[in-house]
Amino acid sequence: MNQKISKKDISKLLDELGKEFKVFSPSRESGVTTFAEWDGRDSSFLEWYRNTVISPKAQLQPLYEKMFSFHKDKEGYHLELPPPTDKKLIFGIRPCDAKALTIIDKTFQDTYQDPYYLDKRKNTLLVGLGCTNPYDSCFCTSLGLSPTQSSDVDLMLTDIGDEFLIEAVTDRGIKLIKKTSYLKEATKTDEAKAEEARRQASSKVTRRLDTEDLAKRLLSSFDDQDFWEKVSNKCISCGICTLLCPTCYCFDISDELVKKEGSRFRSGDSCAFPVYTKMPMENPRLEKWRRVRQKVCHKYEFYPMSFEVIACSGCGRCIRLCPVNWDITQILASLPVKVKA
Amino acid sequence: MAQDSEWEPKLVGFLCRWCSYAGADLAGTSRKKYPANIGIIKVPCSGRVDPLFILKALRLGFDGVLVSGCHPGECHYQTGNYRARRKIALTKKFLEYMGIDPRRLQASWISASEGGKFTEVTTQVTKELKEAGPNELFADDK
Amino acid sequence: MTNREAEQRLRDEAKSLLESAKVDYIVGFADGSLKFHTTPLITRNKDDVDHLVINPFMASNLAKFLTELEGRVGIVAKGCDSRSIVSLVQDNKVSREKVVIVGIPCRGMINLSKIEQLAGKESDEIDDITRQGDKVVVKLDGSEKEIPVKEVLFDHCLACELPTPKEYDLLIDEPIPATPDEEASQAKINKLEELSHHERWRFWQNEFSRCIRCYACRNVCPACYCQRCFVEEAEPQWILSIPKWQDNLIFQIIRNIHLAGRCTDCGECERACPVNIPLRSLSKEMYDLVGELFRFKSGMEIDAAPLLTHYELEEAEDFFR
Repeated sequence: MNQKISKKDISKLLDELGKEFKVFSPSRESGVTTFAEWDGRDSSFLEWYRNTVISPKAQLQPLYEKMFSFHKDKEGYHLELPPPTDKKLIFGIRPCDAKALTIIDKTFQDTYQDPYYLDKRKNTLLVGLGCTNPYDSCFCTSLGLSPTQSSDVDLMLTDIGDEFLIEAVTDRGIKLIKKTSYLKEATKTDEAKAEEARRQASSKVTRRLDTEDLAKRLLSSFDDQDFWEKVSNKCISCGICTLLCPTCYCFDISDELVKKEGSRFRSGDSCAFPVYTKMPMENPRLEKWRRVRQKVCHKYEFYPMSFEVIACSGCGRCIRLCPVNWDITQILASLPVKVKA
Repeated sequence: MAQDSEWEPKLVGFLCRWCSYAGADLAGTSRKKYPANIGIIKVPCSGRVDPLFILKALRLGFDGVLVSGCHPGECHYQTGNYRARRKIALTKKFLEYMGIDPRRLQASWISASEGGKFTEVTTQVTKELKEAGPNELFADDK
Repeated sequence: MTNREAEQRLRDEAKSLLESAKVDYIVGFADGSLKFHTTPLITRNKDDVDHLVINPFMASNLAKFLTELEGRVGIVAKGCDSRSIVSLVQDNKVSREKVVIVGIPCRGMINLSKIEQLAGKESDEIDDITRQGDKVVVKLDGSEKEIPVKEVLFDHCLACELPTPKEYDLLIDEPIPATPDEEASQAKINKLEELSHHERWRFWQNEFSRCIRCYACRNVCPACYCQRCFVEEAEPQWILSIPKWQDNLIFQIIRNIHLAGRCTDCGECERACPVNIPLRSLSKEMYDLVGELFRFKSGMEIDAAPLLTHYELEEAEDFFR
């Protein structure tokens, strides 16, 4: 039996959850939307929240994080590891961002189990919130998702007017519901309203991407330098699309050293930067068209080849935030359609 | 912030090798006393000084930077110090706009024969930095 | 001329430039894939020029592409863009003979964020935005709202000193005189100057904590054309590649000092920033300092020497002991 909660009780709910978890909710500072620690503020984010600029992936793979510190003294070298992760709860994650986490999980759990990411992933509970007002840059439906799907979160909220319908998806979700106040049983009318809300949300996603034979089409266009030069010529090689993409995960490691002590940090890196592949003798992706080709093929051809899933969840941030309005859906739609037999 | 009378500011000086560095050298050989707070870096010309050096010095924790070169019209490379003058003037005003105490970037023209001036300038700058206090600009708050 | 007539004239001129092989590329603005956005159009194909547009959303500074393209370029330039082109020619980075400047007199570009704030809705929820003289009409949810155009133009457009390119090969429309409103354009900067030193530093520390080091500010800038930027230097390493606020702040300070005398206040850095850092409050300050200290305005006179290659015998002495 599903539950429901009144929108007016959301801040009380977050306060209650805050006793057990570090709760993160959508917040806006200087016009920039991100997920920030719930601070007992009002839940007015419900009025403006569509999706954030900084995706909730930043809670699991922060913009920069300390891997360890070190110092040297008379006894020798010492390493200090970061403190253990707090239990976190992300309130309001959208289905595209939740799906994105399952996509990058595959990389962080591949031949090497990344302890920094996995530790946070294990300790983070996701409370999803279905969309009601997708952007015109969203295209999740073309990637087999719906803006209200519940498959990748622990608890799923669907907007049914003055209330949210709550479904427990995982065992952790079921456990959480059992100890939460402010909930009421959902009625058949509520379920029907939720169905209608889901249908409406999906119909509002108008941007389309044709994914049929996409990997094959990319493979057969790989050597078409004219095509790639044409579609990449307005790109300015900044890192916006990659650093804000919830399915991008590349990172750089650097040390900060002052005399005999320092720290090692991990921070975001971008394949769009010319120096990304710079090596002592050469740079295989010196030309911009090679980097653009790599980014597109990695997401829609190479990643599916390795992990059977397209490394994109259609959140549309790359389209919304690109300073020159470079649009991945347009690029992929204009791929020369020569699929080799 | 509490200022411990034992705290001594750390100052880095970018001195041009033809004039100011020689002037500093003269101060030394003339047995003139100048504050030990200054650490000197020799550059071929004051025009070599990139604002990067200044910001890097402040980032590393130096309390102040002194840039010194030949008097205008006497640059060994003819025009290097004119370039320096433009760059340093812009840098100083810009840093002040950002909120950095203007006492932290100082500049002077010291010729090879002005051992005395070098001593005066370093003493004066050190005094002003002592008043300005330790550089906490780039300290981590947490 | 109406916008439509000017557009047609632009397309005809661009086509003839390509057909007569006077240029290898045409660089201009086309409609973007998002409402109220344009996107740069860079093409060798004369059929593509039919996509060229002229509208109040052409914010990009196309001069940026001149340092990347090889060959002769026919470039669409608003006043500010033409200043960037002139600045590149002064720097000897672009040869004047290789550029055909197609000048577009400009009445100012509309800042979508300002409209979004006034309308209380994001741009994809707005039905229409049209400029009618000195008013902008915003249509949403079936109703219309009229806003004085000065409230929705970019800050840098409010201070525009050169709406019509001074250096050009063709001018598409009638010249527009400059009517800068320095006061309105400086509003954000003036607020900053009221703060104490300590408060200002804290302000910037706070703003730069959001910086993600995407380098969009640097990459949209036509004047930032270094093959190897100082941030990529590892020996010595000037700043960390980690987005700590200290290094983010130093990056921007040095970037602005390196651009002194070449920045033309096109405002692209601030527009491109995905996390709304008020970068123009830095670049405009440097622009003003250059004007105040050395009476120099970038990109105005094609024969002028660049700022840091020139000097007067007596100037700026009050900073030196």
